[in-house]
Amino acid sequence: MSAAADVTDVVIVGSGAGGAPLAARLSQAGVSVIVLEAGRAFRPDDHVADELAADIYWMEERLSGGADATAFGANNSGMGVGGSTLHWGAFCPRPDARDLRLRSESGRGEDWPIAHDELIGYIDAVERFIGVSGPARYPWDVGRRYELPPVARNAPANAMARGCTALNITATDAPAALVSRDREQPHWGERKACINCGTCHQGCRTAAKATTDTSWLPLAVAHGAEVRAECRVVDIERDGNGRVTGVVYVCRGERRRLSCRALFLCAGGVETPRLLLNLDLANSSGQVGRNFMAHVATQVWGRFDADMRMNRGYPSSLITEDMMRAGDADHAGGYLIQSLGVMPVTLATNLARGAGLWGRALVDLLDDYNRLGGIGINGECLPSDDNRLTLADETDAYGLRKARIDFSYGPNERAIDAHARKTMTAIWEAAGARDIFAVDRSAHTIGTCRMGQDGDRAVVDADGRSFDIDNLFICDNSVFPSALAANPALTIMALSLRTADRFLATRG
Amino acid sequence: MNRVYFLHALGASAREWDQVIADLGDVGACVPLCLPGFGGSPDADLDVAGLVDWFSEQVAAHQPQSWAVVGHSMGGKIATLAAARARDGDPAFAGLAAVVLLAASPPASEPMAEERRAEMIDWFANGRIGPDEAATFVDANTAQRLPEPLRTQAIADVERSRRLAWTGWLKRDSREDWREAAGTLAVPALIVAGGEDGDLGEDAQRRLNLPHYRNARVEVVAGAAHLLPYEQPAAVATLIRDHITQAFGRALPAPFVALLASDRVSRGTRAVMTERHAAPPRGKVLSPQQRAVLAALIETVLPGAADPVDLAARIDAMLTSGIGDGWRSAELPADAEGWTSGLDTLDHLSSSFADASPADREQCLQSIADETADTEGGAFDPRQMRLWFAEARSEIARQWMALPATMARIGYDGFAVGGDGPHKQGYRLTAADMIEDWQQLEVQA
Ligand SMILES: Cc1cc2nc3c(=O)[nH]c(=O)nc-3n(C[C@H](O)[C@H](O)[C@H](O)COP(=O)(O)OP(=O)(O)OC[C@H]3O[C@@H](n4cnc5c(N)ncnc54)[C@H](O)[C@@H]3O)c2cc1C
Ligand code: SF4
Repeated sequence: MSAAADVTDVVIVGSGAGGAPLAARLSQAGVSVIVLEAGRAFRPDDHVADELAADIYWMEERLSGGADATAFGANNSGMGVGGSTLHWGAFCPRPDARDLRLRSESGRGEDWPIAHDELIGYIDAVERFIGVSGPARYPWDVGRRYELPPVARNAPANAMARGCTALNITATDAPAALVSRDREQPHWGERKACINCGTCHQGCRTAAKATTDTSWLPLAVAHGAEVRAECRVVDIERDGNGRVTGVVYVCRGERRRLSCRALFLCAGGVETPRLLLNLDLANSSGQVGRNFMAHVATQVWGRFDADMRMNRGYPSSLITEDMMRAGDADHAGGYLIQSLGVMPVTLATNLARGAGLWGRALVDLLDDYNRLGGIGINGECLPSDDNRLTLADETDAYGLRKARIDFSYGPNERAIDAHARKTMTAIWEAAGARDIFAVDRSAHTIGTCRMGQDGDRAVVDADGRSFDIDNLFICDNSVFPSALAANPALTIMALSLRTADRFLATRG
Repeated sequence: MNRVYFLHALGASAREWDQVIADLGDVGACVPLCLPGFGGSPDADLDVAGLVDWFSEQVAAHQPQSWAVVGHSMGGKIATLAAARARDGDPAFAGLAAVVLLAASPPASEPMAEERRAEMIDWFANGRIGPDEAATFVDANTAQRLPEPLRTQAIADVERSRRLAWTGWLKRDSREDWREAAGTLAVPALIVAGGEDGDLGEDAQRRLNLPHYRNARVEVVAGAAHLLPYEQPAAVATLIRDHITQAFGRALPAPFVALLASDRVSRGTRAVMTERHAAPPRGKVLSPQQRAVLAALIETVLPGAADPVDLAARIDAMLTSGIGDGWRSAELPADAEGWTSGLDTLDHLSSSFADASPADREQCLQSIADETADTEGGAFDPRQMRLWFAEARSEIARQWMALPATMARIGYDGFAVGGDGPHKQGYRLTAADMIEDWQQLEVQA
């Protein structure tokens, strides 16, 4: 252990959607901040347009169980300065007010301890800072404005528009956290307009896509924050009263110690609870690791007569919110539909695993890659006691026990899945697709350290503060009390700003 | 058209390949080059990097296509370092399919007795080498005196060598240590030694060149010392032909190579695709029997589409590296054990899956997917077998789809975006049935 005592007001573990905005806001307020990030730092043009070689994923092994075991690795977890925003799809619908009050509305799920209006205020601030492209008129929220015009639709988006029109479903250009025009990003430089390259999930080489390393982190650094890459937090130190006094991290094989007055865990929906469980911390409620949620992310595919080449263009350029509360719904909550552009390797694994294909059927479809098109959903997932992150007996290279995640759909997820299959199949038929089939898939790592008003039922309060340890905060996908149908990153960034404001307002 | 470049030895010229090329037959367009300062070309004082740059201009002049390089002695060092640049994504060297080294100088400092080095440098003390010294040099490097008119030609070439090129190689270039830059190369290599060579004989080839190539074979040609192309042209030609024909046989289609070499592709992307197109590192987890079962499984999962032996080797390499896809089923053991148990159970289930008929294999997999397979006596129960099969087929599909050859097969050009210039290139057209002029790949399947 290095002897040099390193001290800072705040340590933030993780530089993704949860960690970076608050790093910026706290340092703007004069708080000294050090961000510790396990992954390495990239320049945009370090990214490689290759699905296997892209090295921006969290590839350390996780164990997945349950009837609908969810895939990790490239499917949902990032690593690097920027976290999962390095490879996120930048599809950024806003959270629906009804989803935040799902329990009040349906008697199922959970209500959020934060009002929708307040959250939207923060969402608005996030959107203005990172730059979002979207339609001039958003049909489900007509007052909403996006700074930038939408990017070009790709072939699956056009097909989806066709199918939706035929079925009287409203669809429009999706809100996307990317710049459709060159745009100056404060303290970073010019982000070039999207070039329709389609490799968002492998890392954006033009910086058109919003990532925290080209937005929030430069802002934080400009105000004195320090971002330390390749620093893995492995321990949290406490005083006799149980308050956090600092962290221990490993940097290139060397163990180091960093003292702090407050600690923010923003390591994502798997690593945050895994660390707490390994260290047996902040868990008097017994809720750490519980209520793991993954969005129902079923896809429907088909062949077209046209040359689609869906790898071209921003992948998810069309959206419909019409199914957020479908008239004939037999489930609580709802889902969003988006058009897809999926790269060949991801498609191949999804077809082999999620569609259960092999043999001629698999080869014929993959050979027809240029003619395939798909649409997919992001659907509500209710918290459940059976879905849980626990520790496996096996340990990782740092001696910490690996995460085991058990996940099974409940009746509500099955109902959403079935409803979505039917709807999407109808859209695809109307769009002219043949040989239509569905692929099972779930996405995102949500819950596991939920926030709430009651310390017996939640790990943190609405401000992200641990009920057990008053200088320990959590801010990432793990604090979500319910999944929300909207994809999570925009909401995580908004919560991050709010957590910073609440910290600044309430610190002693 | 495929091309084969020939890089000669110190004191020789493009002419040293005349007989080898005549014996080669139709392997592609043969391009014997004269290195700067040799064979009548203007003198130049190039260090090793300069020589590789010079070679890159020769190759780039004829791009894009698949090509191979044959490097003799001094030319061998250039060939290996060109291969290293190809590996690192240098567009000038894109499309390299095979390397042949003949009595090659290694990336490390070349072993040479200091007094011999001093003597050879001294031959040029007054600017030119004399005929006696030239004859001494040729005779010292052959197992037997060369027949005429070859000997006269070889001596004349030595006399044509220019001072800066000659002394630059001996004083500096042959001593430069390029081991780190050379690293490990995946391109298929044939390393040939003369049975009666001295400092660069078989032992030196195994010690100094072989470790840089993970996919290489060493051959020793009897009845030859250092001037192999002059001494045993027929034997050398046969070796080159076999090696290069095989390598060109698995080369990517020309339009694909052209796109990969273009400035639409970044160096980083080009490097990983080049590496992946080559054979994988040797895997150590699977037994020969498990490999055979895996190959049969691959053939059933991707019938007629994948090279089952190659893909099985890739999966073994993945298991050996310990780098998987970031997760596994909680009901299965760690990847290496999971795969060996799964393959053993599969073999056990169908009493020799590898030898079963396609229909029987298909039926066996179906029963696994349905969880109706009777796994009694196998390492996995039916549920584990179903989970493992899901993992196995997705890994097989993943590895296959990621191959550049598969991208070529399906007419996929999505890797050709980004580039390294200040203005990245993407797609201008994204709607159906509209493509851009540069999108020339055709579906092969
Ligand atoms: C392929 C893909 C596509 C997606 N597309 C979208 C989309 O279109 N729209 C959307 O809204 N969301 C999308 N998401 C999800 C979104 O990216 C995540 O929900 C979001 O980034 C999560 O933020 P986070 O702060 O919880 O975690 P992350 O952003 O993952 O950040 C966690 C960081 O913590 C670091 N870390 C973990 N443990 C430690 C440790 N012990 N020490 C130090 N550092 C540590 C990690 O390396 C990582 O960088 C996508 C995700 C994936 C994988
Ligand atoms: S499609 Fe646009 S946002 Fe996505 S990686 Fe390419 S340039 Fe970036």
